[in-house]
Amino acid sequence: MVALVIVLALFFDFTNGFHDTANAMATPIATGALKPKAAVAIAATLNLVGAFLSTEVARTISGGLIREGDGGIQITPVMIFAGLIGATLWNMVTWFLGLPSSSSHALFGGLIGAAIVGAGFGSVDFSVLLSKVVLPALLAPLTAGLVAFIAVKIIYSITKKRQRNGFKHGQVFTSSLVSLAHGTNDAQKTMGVITLTLIAGGFQATGSGPEFWVIAVCALAIALGTYTGGWRIIRTMGKGLTEIEPGQGFAAEASTAATILASSHLGFALSTTQVSSGSVIGTGIGRKGASVRWRTAGRIALGWLITIPAAAAVGAIAAFVALSGTVGIIVDTVVAVGVIAGIFLYARGNRVDARNVHDEPTVLVRPKRSRKQRKQDEKELRKGGNAQ
Amino acid sequence: MIDWPAFFVVLVATLVGASLVVTLYSLGLRLVDHAAGWQRPVGIACFVACALVVLYGVYLVIPYFHQ
Repeated sequence: MVALVIVLALFFDFTNGFHDTANAMATPIATGALKPKAAVAIAATLNLVGAFLSTEVARTISGGLIREGDGGIQITPVMIFAGLIGATLWNMVTWFLGLPSSSSHALFGGLIGAAIVGAGFGSVDFSVLLSKVVLPALLAPLTAGLVAFIAVKIIYSITKKRQRNGFKHGQVFTSSLVSLAHGTNDAQKTMGVITLTLIAGGFQATGSGPEFWVIAVCALAIALGTYTGGWRIIRTMGKGLTEIEPGQGFAAEASTAATILASSHLGFALSTTQVSSGSVIGTGIGRKGASVRWRTAGRIALGWLITIPAAAAVGAIAAFVALSGTVGIIVDTVVAVGVIAGIFLYARGNRVDARNVHDEPTVLVRPKRSRKQRKQDEKELRKGGNAQ
Repeated sequence: MIDWPAFFVVLVATLVGASLVVTLYSLGLRLVDHAAGWQRPVGIACFVACALVVLYGVYLVIPYFHQ
């Protein structure tokens, strides 16, 4: 059971990585400041480094959302397992739709669902949910958006048009800073999950920090995920929300970095994903002549709203099945692997990768095509491939 | 409930930090664009100052430095 949770936690870490590449690298890729492959390589390296730099893991998995510990409920490995299934599956779905959604929220959601099934409604602290998750989710994009809006105004009033290509060089540094900040935050969640599972399973002393191998595998998993690149989400963030010029990209990254650093150091945690989406939109409003695609922005916001309930629902179902015993856990595992493999296979139908990441996403979800049309498309694609 | 004072501190800090970086970098770009005169060295100084602000950000990111 513990081994299963660790494997699943690492896979969640991997999805977290490719989900969040876009936060730092969507804007430099969109402006051409970095080549797509180079961008993900930098992001992966910095995530790897970042994961080793900071091992300040959360003492509770849920950050107080679930009443853990003394006087509260006992979170069992089975519940963590079910929660992780909810989080991972929701991450896969949002990746497929190209929606930048918060991986932390997916994890919280999955665990909440599992805890409700495993220990009842009383196990979840809904006031903490409101003050730590729901309200910050509203404030994060607004803060970052406002700051990015002002930053763009400053940039476009100081520089002349022909000078603005110089921002591409600056973008390399600001986006790297965002990546590093991400690395020092996100792998730690998985380290915390694995460590707490090891403690719950009796393999590690209570209150001790993460073992070195846990840090190493978590860092590797998130770096690998980052390098794989969530090209769908990069495309949504870089091309789907607004047209991004180098000056805007610089402003967006500077605002994202500033917001994340300030919030994590002054004790008011904000989600990286929501901050960087807000920044991009803010720069779109700020630059004259840029337009924001509010439909896409609306869909992203809707995705944020349903992340926790959706992950919770999957987590709850998984917990319901898993709590029936060993057979339930096996059923859960098989279904989860099946769904993940299915999404990967289905996603191959309209691949988004380093080569076509610059195409305009006309729709977030691919339009329904008939089987015949699809075959024809594939034929043409193959022909094109042979011609090269 | 929500910690509003903490939020406003974050908002102000973010605003100051981001504005500082973009102002310095923009000034740097604008001044370095001049071929000669006093503007060039000042522009380079702006870039250096901007780099220092970003390095301060790196310092903040790494907990090892301030524990």
